[in-house]
Amino acid sequence: MQWLDEMIRAPKDAGYAERALARYRLGMKGHGALCGVRILPGDEHCPVCTHLAADMYQPDKAPRIPLAGCPYAEGCRCAYRPVMTYELVNGSAHVDS
Amino acid sequence: MIEILSKIPRFMAYRRFGWPKMLPINLTLSPSPRCNSRCLTCNIWMKREDELTLEEWDKVFQSLGHAPFWFTVSGGEPFMNKEIVELCQSFYRHCRPGIINIPTNSLLAHRIPQKVEGICQSCPESQVIINLSLDGVGAKHDHIRGVKGNFEKFEQNYKALMALKATYSNLTIGVHSVISRFNVDDAPELFAYAFSIKPDSYITEIAEQRIELDTVGLNITPPRDKYGWAIDQLIARIESRHFGGISKVTEAFRVEYYKLVKRILAEQTQVIGCYAGWASAQIYANGEVWPCCIRADSIKNLRDVNYDFRRVWFSPEAERIRTSIRNKECYCPLANASYTNMLMHPPTVARVGAKVAMASIPLLNSREQPEPTPVLGGQ
Repeated sequence: MQWLDEMIRAPKDAGYAERALARYRLGMKGHGALCGVRILPGDEHCPVCTHLAADMYQPDKAPRIPLAGCPYAEGCRCAYRPVMTYELVNGSAHVDS
Repeated sequence: MIEILSKIPRFMAYRRFGWPKMLPINLTLSPSPRCNSRCLTCNIWMKREDELTLEEWDKVFQSLGHAPFWFTVSGGEPFMNKEIVELCQSFYRHCRPGIINIPTNSLLAHRIPQKVEGICQSCPESQVIINLSLDGVGAKHDHIRGVKGNFEKFEQNYKALMALKATYSNLTIGVHSVISRFNVDDAPELFAYAFSIKPDSYITEIAEQRIELDTVGLNITPPRDKYGWAIDQLIARIESRHFGGISKVTEAFRVEYYKLVKRILAEQTQVIGCYAGWASAQIYANGEVWPCCIRADSIKNLRDVNYDFRRVWFSPEAERIRTSIRNKECYCPLANASYTNMLMHPPTVARVGAKVAMASIPLLNSREQPEPTPVLGGQ
C-alpha cells in the first residue's frame, strides 16, 4: 500500500539504524523466515541510495542510513526492510520497492 | 451495552466537529512484542522494547476510568507475559470493561488454561474472549506459524479451554484465522475444520501490511480475486445457518465486515469512515499511544505525561493524526477497528438490523439448525 510506504519513509531519529539492525540481527538468530535486510530508498530518484535498493544485506554488514550525502534536509527518508525467504528467487532478493 | 449505543452519536459528532471530546471505547494493549511464533505473516517477535511495568499500566488504567468497553490484550503472544492475570485485574478494577479479548498462539498450552481461569475468576462481570489462532490444518498450520507441533498444541489448548466453559459462564472460546497468500488456496479446508470443532465464534482477518508487525512491503496479502473466492465461501457458510439471540446480530456484522474487506481491497480507500483515533486506540509496550497498529504512529508516550491518557488523547498531536485519518490519507481492513467503524456507520447498522429482522421470521428459517452463540471481534 503506497500510503504505508510513505509512512515508513518518514524522517528517522539518530538511533533508527542501530535499533532496526539490532532487531534484524535478532531475527536472523530466531529461526524464522528472515534472511536479510534491504534498503527502501527515500524516493526512487534519490541519487545516494537508489543503487543500493536491489541488494540484500546481512544486518551486520548493511550500510548505515542516513548515507553520507543524503539529499533530504529534513532527515533521511530511507528505511530498512526485512527480506523473507519466501521472497527469494533463485537465492536472490527479488522484492518490489 | 445500552451505554455504548448511546455514545455512537457523540462519537460521530466528535469525528465531524471535534466535540464532544470522547475517550476510546475500544482499546488494544500490547504489553510486549515478544512472541514464540515465527509466522510468515508477522515480524513483531524480533522487537524488543522498554516495556511498561504493571505499576505503570495501573496508572494508565486509572486515568481512563470506565470509558473503554472493549479491551484487547495483544502482543506478541499475550500469555508469555507472566503478569497477564494481574494486568487484566488492573484494568478490570479501574475500567470495568464489558469485553476482554485475548488472542493466543496456544504454544504455552500447559500454562494458558490456568491463566484464563484466573482472568475469568477475577473479572466476573466481563465477557472474556480467548481467540485461538489457526491458519491451517495440521502441518500447514505449523508451516505458516513457523513452529513444529503448533497444531497439536492448538488442539490441546482448545480442548482444555472448552472444558473451562462449564465452570465460567463469562468465558467465550473463539478461533481466529489470518487469510494470507500462504493459505488462501486451502481456505475451504480451514473453514470446514474450524466449523467442525464448533467454537463459540469463528473469525477471519486478511493478512495485511502493518507498521506494528514490520510487514510493510511484504507480499503476504492474498490476491483480491482469491480472497474474494475464499471469503464468499465463508459468507455462504454463515448465511446458510440459523443463529439465535444475539448471535443473529454478531453474525450479520461479521458478514458485513467480510463484504467491507472486499470493497476496501477493490477501492483502496476508506469505504466507511475510520474511527481509529476517536473510538479506538492502541497502547504499545513502550507507552506510545497509537490510533491503530497499521499506522502505528505515536501520538505521544504515556511516560512523558505522567501516564495520563487524557493528556495524550486530547493533545494537538492527536488532532494532527485525526486530521490525516479523516482526510483518508490511510485505509485498511483491520478487523478490530472495522467493527467499531461499522457500529458508527448508520447504513451498515440499518442493513444488519434488516437482516436480523428477516432472520427472525420463523417461516423463512424453518429448515435450518441453530448454531452456538458467536461473538464479534478481531484478533
